[in-house]
Amino acid sequence: MRINLDDSFESLSFFALFNAVADAMLLVNKEGQVVLANHPAQAMFGYSADAMVGISVEMLMPESYRQHHAHLRKHFFSNPEKRSMGRGKNLVVLTQHGQELPVDIGLSPILYEDMPYVLVTFHLTEKQILAEASLKASEERLRLAKLSAGLGVFDIDLRHNSVTYDSHIQDFFDFPHDNGVTYNQFVEAIDATDQADWHAVFTRAIKIESDSVYQVEFRISNADNQPKRWLHAAGKVFFNEHVAVRMLGVVKDITEHILLQQELSKQQIELEALAKTQIAIQTASAIAHEINQPLAAISAYSEVALYALKAENIDMNRLNRSLLGCVTQAQRAGKSLHELMEFFQKGDIEASPIDLHGVLREAVNITQYSGYGGFQSSLHLEPNLPPVLANRTQLQKVIVNILRNGIEAAHLAGIPVAKIQVLLRTHAQSNMAEVIIQDNGPGLTPDVQRRIFEPFFTTKSQGIGMGLTVSRSLIEACGGQLWFDANSSVGASFHLTLPFAKN
Amino acid sequence: MTPTIFIIDDEPAVRDALTMMIEQEGFQVKAFDGGEAFLADYQQEELGCAIIDVRMPSMSGLSLQKEMINRHILLPIIFLTGHGDIPMSVSAIKSGAIDFLTKPVTREKLLASIRPAVIESEKKLSQAACVEEAKSLVDSLTEREREVMLLAINGFPNKEIARRLQISHRTVEIHKSKIMHKTGAINLLDLASIAREGGCES
Repeated sequence: MRINLDDSFESLSFFALFNAVADAMLLVNKEGQVVLANHPAQAMFGYSADAMVGISVEMLMPESYRQHHAHLRKHFFSNPEKRSMGRGKNLVVLTQHGQELPVDIGLSPILYEDMPYVLVTFHLTEKQILAEASLKASEERLRLAKLSAGLGVFDIDLRHNSVTYDSHIQDFFDFPHDNGVTYNQFVEAIDATDQADWHAVFTRAIKIESDSVYQVEFRISNADNQPKRWLHAAGKVFFNEHVAVRMLGVVKDITEHILLQQELSKQQIELEALAKTQIAIQTASAIAHEINQPLAAISAYSEVALYALKAENIDMNRLNRSLLGCVTQAQRAGKSLHELMEFFQKGDIEASPIDLHGVLREAVNITQYSGYGGFQSSLHLEPNLPPVLANRTQLQKVIVNILRNGIEAAHLAGIPVAKIQVLLRTHAQSNMAEVIIQDNGPGLTPDVQRRIFEPFFTTKSQGIGMGLTVSRSLIEACGGQLWFDANSSVGASFHLTLPFAKN
Repeated sequence: MTPTIFIIDDEPAVRDALTMMIEQEGFQVKAFDGGEAFLADYQQEELGCAIIDVRMPSMSGLSLQKEMINRHILLPIIFLTGHGDIPMSVSAIKSGAIDFLTKPVTREKLLASIRPAVIESEKKLSQAACVEEAKSLVDSLTEREREVMLLAINGFPNKEIARRLQISHRTVEIHKSKIMHKTGAINLLDLASIAREGGCES
């Protein structure tokens, strides 16, 4: 069939053609305003149907080109001709969302009702087409990853205060189907108690000086009477000319994780409470035993005294002895209690940089004059030792306790002169100071060595067996260690380490 | 005879105070700081009782009780304990302890336990004395007399005894009268109980 071009298609309008082509096209007037934009152009630039009409073409390019372009535009209209624009140059257009696309641009002058116009056609460059294909592939991979990880994505348009989102977000927040919500509606969906957290993170993220990435956890209370769900959101803010324009976020439901964590911490607390109860029971039982013996004696002495008073001839000797017994035993009970309280006293537990030499000298002096019996001591100190981090009073208590154990052990074994050696060493690598305290006593049997740090373990007839237990926890609280050296050749040898204070 | 109360407790003050208290009641008191010292000292049965602390360092009160049973010591035991441990007290009472008292103990409670303990001790001692006596009586019999006695207390008539031992009826009668005379038994029933106590079971 022959086609007669001249008459059959005479009536086909420019407008129909304009909208039918696959390429993006704009019709621009002499003043540089867009008068028509076809669908592909709207899609490429990211504008809605009417939003492009009336805007200046300079708005569709990065700011740096605008002034120069206005000048070129005037020049073009003074001598309009069909040509491609900026041959060989890498032209770039700017989309509504601030994205820059490399394009080739063609210009065709059109005269309509005596007014000059220019028809502008846009072709994405080959590089851009490849980039878009690869973007599409990566978006597909991302979509699959998002799907399998159960992630939701939201996209906040900060210029229009609107939020778009995917189906996961829709489910999490109970948002309407594909319509989108306003930014306010989005924030309202966050549980009231967590809105402040969101605001804080949001305010920081949209500042230009921020690193533009953010993450936040919050609860949402969607349906009535439903347990609240915990969400974790992380994402990035995009800026245009130093103004935040867009906030993207990936959301994950972490409710199960949070519940599990809460359950674990509850169990942890219960376990700690149980351990505390056990310690309390052991402590109470130790106190009971320590106090009950003198009480038993006092009770019996008192009854002896009462009975003696009832007799016609009062046995003064017996009366005297029993009352004296009462006094001694009451004193003894009080002393036990004070000793006990000293161990459990919290006092000042703040650690500060202290001079280890000073503490060691003081501890030796205190021990020398506190009635545990005399001893010979030799201190081998390190010159120019930097300060260590510990609590002075507590450290002193720990060292006195070890010294005292050594002296008592030596005396008990019938060794005439107790000798105690205190050695200092520094460990540069671990940044620790080590104190070694060695006595000339009989040492410890393997059974005692094994149990020596157990609470309420004691080899003494008087004493509650808390000294070393408490000492170890005090040293550990300062970041050090306390142990017994089983390989020591003479006597018992205790080692303790303490960290050096940082400058 | 004045009963002797033995106090075994590692705590010197408790030992001292209880000693004075019990002495005021007219008892004789011997106090020890542990089971070992007591066992070393206690050689002959005495009238009285032992007051033993449950919690002692080297030999616990319960181990001391076990050792006393092993050694056939008759002295009744009263336990003293710092805190009432029910399973421990049940086991102590089952093994024959008179009482299980909690420290501090009042004079009244302690005496209320000491008195029946002393009565129990008396009973045990007199029983032991009976056994001792019966034993010596049985020991005084000749071999043949013991044979005759066993058959007689098992109800065999003289004729049968004579036949079994292949001796004359008359000889059996002589043995029997000697047996009754030596043991001082008034009849066969009495003889049977002496024989049993004396360890001469049929």
